[in-house]
Amino acid sequence: MLRADDLVTIGVTARLAAVTTLVLLAAGTPLAWWLARTHWRGKVLVEAVVALPLVLPPTVLGYYLLVCLGPHGALGATLERFGGHHLAFSFAGLVIGSCLYSLPFAVQPMQAAFAAIGERTFEMAATVGAGPFDRFLTVALPLARRGILTACVLTFAHTVGEFGVVLMVGGNIPGSTRVLSMAIYDYAEALDHGRAAALSGGLLIFSMALLIVVYAVNRRFERIQV
Amino acid sequence: MRKGFLGLALVLVALLPGGVAGAEELVRVAAAADLRPVLPALEAEFAKVRPGTRVEVILGSSGKLATQIENGAPFDVFFSADRALPARLAGKGLCDGPVQLYARGRLALWNGREDVSRLTLADLKEKRFRRIAIANPEHAPYGQRAREALQRAGVWSVVQDRIVLGENVSQTAELVESGAADVGILALSLALTPELARKGAHATIPENLHQPLEQGYCVLKGPGGRGAARAFVHFVGEPAARAILRRHGFAQPGEGSP
Amino acid sequence: MSLRVRAKLVRDTFVLDVDLELPARGIVTLFGPSGCGKTTLLRCLAGLERPEPGLIRLNGQLWQDSAAGCFVPPHRRGVGYVFQEPVVFPHLSVLGNLEYAHRRVPEARRHVSLERAVELLGLPELCDRAPANLSGGQRQRVAIGRALLTSPGLLLMDEPLAALDLASRAEILTRVLELREELDVPIVYVTHSGAELARVADYVVLMEQGRVTHHGPLAELIGRLEPFILDQQDVEAVLELTVDSHDDELCSTHLTFAGGSLFVPRRQAPVGKRLRLVVRARDVSLALEPAKRTSILNILPCRIVSLSERSPGEVLVRLDAAGTALWSLVMRRSALALGLAPGVRVYAQIKAVSLA
Repeated sequence: MLRADDLVTIGVTARLAAVTTLVLLAAGTPLAWWLARTHWRGKVLVEAVVALPLVLPPTVLGYYLLVCLGPHGALGATLERFGGHHLAFSFAGLVIGSCLYSLPFAVQPMQAAFAAIGERTFEMAATVGAGPFDRFLTVALPLARRGILTACVLTFAHTVGEFGVVLMVGGNIPGSTRVLSMAIYDYAEALDHGRAAALSGGLLIFSMALLIVVYAVNRRFERIQV
Repeated sequence: MRKGFLGLALVLVALLPGGVAGAEELVRVAAAADLRPVLPALEAEFAKVRPGTRVEVILGSSGKLATQIENGAPFDVFFSADRALPARLAGKGLCDGPVQLYARGRLALWNGREDVSRLTLADLKEKRFRRIAIANPEHAPYGQRAREALQRAGVWSVVQDRIVLGENVSQTAELVESGAADVGILALSLALTPELARKGAHATIPENLHQPLEQGYCVLKGPGGRGAARAFVHFVGEPAARAILRRHGFAQPGEGSP
Repeated sequence: MSLRVRAKLVRDTFVLDVDLELPARGIVTLFGPSGCGKTTLLRCLAGLERPEPGLIRLNGQLWQDSAAGCFVPPHRRGVGYVFQEPVVFPHLSVLGNLEYAHRRVPEARRHVSLERAVELLGLPELCDRAPANLSGGQRQRVAIGRALLTSPGLLLMDEPLAALDLASRAEILTRVLELREELDVPIVYVTHSGAELARVADYVVLMEQGRVTHHGPLAELIGRLEPFILDQQDVEAVLELTVDSHDDELCSTHLTFAGGSLFVPRRQAPVGKRLRLVVRARDVSLALEPAKRTSILNILPCRIVSLSERSPGEVLVRLDAAGTALWSLVMRRSALALGLAPGVRVYAQIKAVSLA
């Protein structure tokens, strides 16, 4: 039922989701930590920006990305000037888009998890000799592991499922920017219901399985930590 | 332990190789949605002529594809459903060589539930056609021509409120095929596909009701090898390709309707 | 050996303002009603608050001098801190919690070994447990053990008994007193309970509304502490005695102090060691003559200082046993019958004592 090019598409989708998850894990964890701990007044502004993709139509984000990453855009033009290549319709461009688009799904669960750790626990860690970075590694991260796992799964799944941003900046290029959601859209448009159904069904089962894993793991943590 | 495994899996997936890299030449063809049925046959024929060159097709409405090209999409050739859009790209210096006509498209009325071959556009006034699908005239040439034809047939003011828009002409066919719309004005090339023809006969819309759907292509200053792109467009002008186009409902420049 | 503290901290509704020089040995108790600033002062010592201006110096180590812009963060102060609610890392086992602190002390600076801490706090059978399965008292023992394993130069305890049930309180208190004996670590101990104060304090700092009203060795301040002692449900005296001898055959220990001597069930303490005993007022009865042929072993000659009505029908008698305060709770009927009055010489018969 699946053809070789479908496998390529699945590969691109998985790679995009994995890279996005890793990037957001690396960049989102410190951001979430900072948001959970800071008393700075401007924090609400940062929080609003992080949450923006939740309410913004993906096409709006896609439009701005196109304008920014393309050969005439601020970023794209700069890259071109220094002998690079602009990022529209490239895998790198998709990663940037996906990271922005999935930002709240990565940051919010982690922020909530960090904020749920009592201040006492950190004070105690300080009095037994743990410096700030030590506390982050040995107290914050292990205690927030549920939130971090949730963030990873949501980011991965959300990236697999994204459509609007890809539609705008992806270009639907096989092997590079054609992802599952685009392929399904294409098959439906071509009235190829067999393959549209196969990919849609696969995605449905995958998403369901992922969420079941998240809920099951969370339940186990609950039982351990009570 | 389990967390380490999860992280490792993520990293491995992230390191998956990208596209199917090969030694073969690649030509990326951005094509208007009305060409969807004809492209597999053209690709197959081209593979005989020039084995070792892979054709990658990206379909969409002509307007959307042109916008993407203007924003740096890495395509090598652009087959539009009109001649204005490739001309616009040429005007911006994005093309390598002049715009060439390769086909003339036709509009067809189809609904997939009945034989509509005796219907005319005037019949669309009937109340039973509650939803009439056309491609979006904003950026799809087939949509512009469909609107023109409805205006010329004198029914536009009556049916205007019943029009639903497909993103491109291919999606318009999907709207009708799914039953969401009661009838649609499609590209003849789509109505001729086995999938659609099986479900109901179409009516070809007289060409005098609209500006001719002259379709042009241009070779782009894309990232790929220009040689492969040239070979492909040259092939499209050859008799074998012209025959395939004709068979799929595209009149050839300077010829009558198929 | 001294702890120098000068700290001013302004909060919305409260100002802490202290300037003290404290002995850095034994147990210094910060005592006062809730909200008087004792916990805040303790947090300043730990570096969890940053007073302005602030000057904190333990012996030679400067921890804060706001004038010089010096502030040593908590993790570099080498203090152990025990919070009121037991705080235990939920993701580590009991042993993991202890090791967390131990690992972070350079080997050269360690003066408490893991084994020692485990033994002192009675943790051997708990080491493999997860914190989720511990009682409040057990958690507090883990927290104290972990604080000790920082090999602290100063141990700070913020009402470590307040969040515990009665049984756990007695146990933790015993452990704390053992620490004072076993380890040469000065302790600053916050409490608002007079009973705790009398049992643990060597030196007392009385606080009220963010200020220190009095401070000095316990014995000097005992008069000032009387109102707090009387305020409690069970009035009791805390006596400090010296181990005189043991009788292994009869399993008893003989203790002496200026006011006389007492027999108690055999203690595991060497001769010459000082012990604190608690004597509750309701365990002390009075006689005008020394009773003969009685089961009561411990009879101390005293002089009545004062009498006060404790409740209708009950009279609290304040006694003086050669300079040491004792209390006796007797029926009003008895007081009248015996003619008890200030200045009268009596014999205090002590029915029971408990180790502080």
